[in-house]
Amino acid sequence: MNGAFRQTQVPPGVQCFVGEEARRRRRIEEAVVSAFEGWDYEEIIPPIFDYADVFSGETLASKTYSFIGRDGSILALRPDFTSLLAKIAAGRLRERPAPLRLFYSGEVVRYEPPRAGAQSELHQMGLEHLGGDSRAADAEVLAIAAECLERTGARDWVLALGHVGVFNGLVEGAGFNPARVEALRDRVEAKDAAGVREVLSGSDLRVAAAEAIERLTSLAGGPETVLEAERIFGFSPTASAAIVELRAVIDALDESGLGDRLAVDLGEVRGLDYYTGLVFRVYAPDLGFEVGGGGRYDGLLARFGRPLPAVGFMLGLDRLAVLLERQGGEPETPPARAETVSGRDLGRALRLARERRKTGARVRFGDGEAR
Amino acid sequence: MTTITIALSKGKLLPGTEALFRRCSLPFPLGDSRRLVVPARNFRFLFVKDADVPTYVEHGVADCGIAGRDVLLETGSDVLEPVDLGFGRCRLVVAAPAGSGFTPDKLPIARVATKYPRVATAYFLGRGLAVEVVKLAGSVEIAPGLGLADCIVDVVETGRTLLENGLELIDTVAESSARFIVNRASFHARREEVQELLRTLQGGPS
Repeated sequence: MNGAFRQTQVPPGVQCFVGEEARRRRRIEEAVVSAFEGWDYEEIIPPIFDYADVFSGETLASKTYSFIGRDGSILALRPDFTSLLAKIAAGRLRERPAPLRLFYSGEVVRYEPPRAGAQSELHQMGLEHLGGDSRAADAEVLAIAAECLERTGARDWVLALGHVGVFNGLVEGAGFNPARVEALRDRVEAKDAAGVREVLSGSDLRVAAAEAIERLTSLAGGPETVLEAERIFGFSPTASAAIVELRAVIDALDESGLGDRLAVDLGEVRGLDYYTGLVFRVYAPDLGFEVGGGGRYDGLLARFGRPLPAVGFMLGLDRLAVLLERQGGEPETPPARAETVSGRDLGRALRLARERRKTGARVRFGDGEAR
Repeated sequence: MTTITIALSKGKLLPGTEALFRRCSLPFPLGDSRRLVVPARNFRFLFVKDADVPTYVEHGVADCGIAGRDVLLETGSDVLEPVDLGFGRCRLVVAAPAGSGFTPDKLPIARVATKYPRVATAYFLGRGLAVEVVKLAGSVEIAPGLGLADCIVDVVETGRTLLENGLELIDTVAESSARFIVNRASFHARREEVQELLRTLQGGPS
């Protein structure tokens, strides 16, 4: 192989946007960022790479592009923003009083095996709310997510809410080894009641607890599902506390007018391993995978030396763009037609072009037809 | 009510699927078997290869589908599997030539012929055994006899095929049956339609 193919072939997983596609993405990004700024969040542009340890965590570790720096330290291209923002909040911004409201918009790079909705290069737009009153922060973050979707013009989207404390509360104290917990989580995520029974068979878990775990696979529906969950999980203090938190957020969102956008899914237990409370995902009927999601991660900042409760979410720009295109939204208005400015006297032509530009005209300089 | 798209396999799960749909008074279009996309009432059916059913559902091209657990294990698709439909029961097994005394730990590296490379790899590596997977598209049972592999990982229903090819069962990797699968986004974004279908299939009041 002489390597010449590399001059034309692109590596799998990367993307390139041209003209109208790029403009569409820019519009979407502007709509989302205006919502972030409207709720008084401050932009952070974090570094594109950092020490690999910053991103450690089982879910991301296997997806991180890492490399050795000149000084021998292991570095990694950012696979996610949340860890970076946590590090910055605990480091450079450590004197800033909480709560901190921070947002970002940029690319992350992940090694992703080919599957639905997974590229190696993803543009994420998200925010983190660090410190402050947790219930209010949870509700605020969900309301902002809703506003972002409204501003982009997306239709029929749903916020599916869960809480990792329900699953964790039911499994804690069962004395399962980590492999069994993972197998159980995998089957709960798949809503596979038969699979859950299979994983639990032979365990000495109390019948009530085993049945409750199995019920996680079917406890999904409208906001009223949380009432049913309250009854079923009453016997577990951790699970009950989780349901109380979830219900407080649902009630607040419902009262704010978002009730018909909400779904409850207590089997939604997958995702990044740093989530500790509320988790949610955004779904829409024209996209087979989530548009974005987020949750509460009260343990992460302590890792960087500034223990603060935190909640955040992100929307995938790539996914939002696909969704809006499938929903047949407004076609991107083409830019105004350019006027050609040329002449044999280069200096005079350039002066004219600069004058026209001052009036805001779109100018195509030199010869050739304007587009 | 919007149209719900259901991906079905034209393979061995088809008779069981047809019986199930008739029992639940759901429409089931057959007849012209060359048509691959068939609308019926408020449904649209896609007839695809069984290994492709989870792919259509994972990508959201189909809202729901029916796939064997064996296929789901092999594709590793991220889909919901809310109903075990009970038909199409079979087992994924390791089998080797009868009387060969095969156990994988006796070999420095076991050569395994299979249509399920992902399942086979996970099984052997998960037990700390090195494995060389020989991917075949069919007639896996003849591979050990011809020297292509030391053993196979394949599905068996009755075990007769194993017997006829001089193979014996070494271990069961997983039990399989037909599963009703649902796309994650459809589950929430088409909640009413999907929930009604789930109730119908589980025999509750619709």
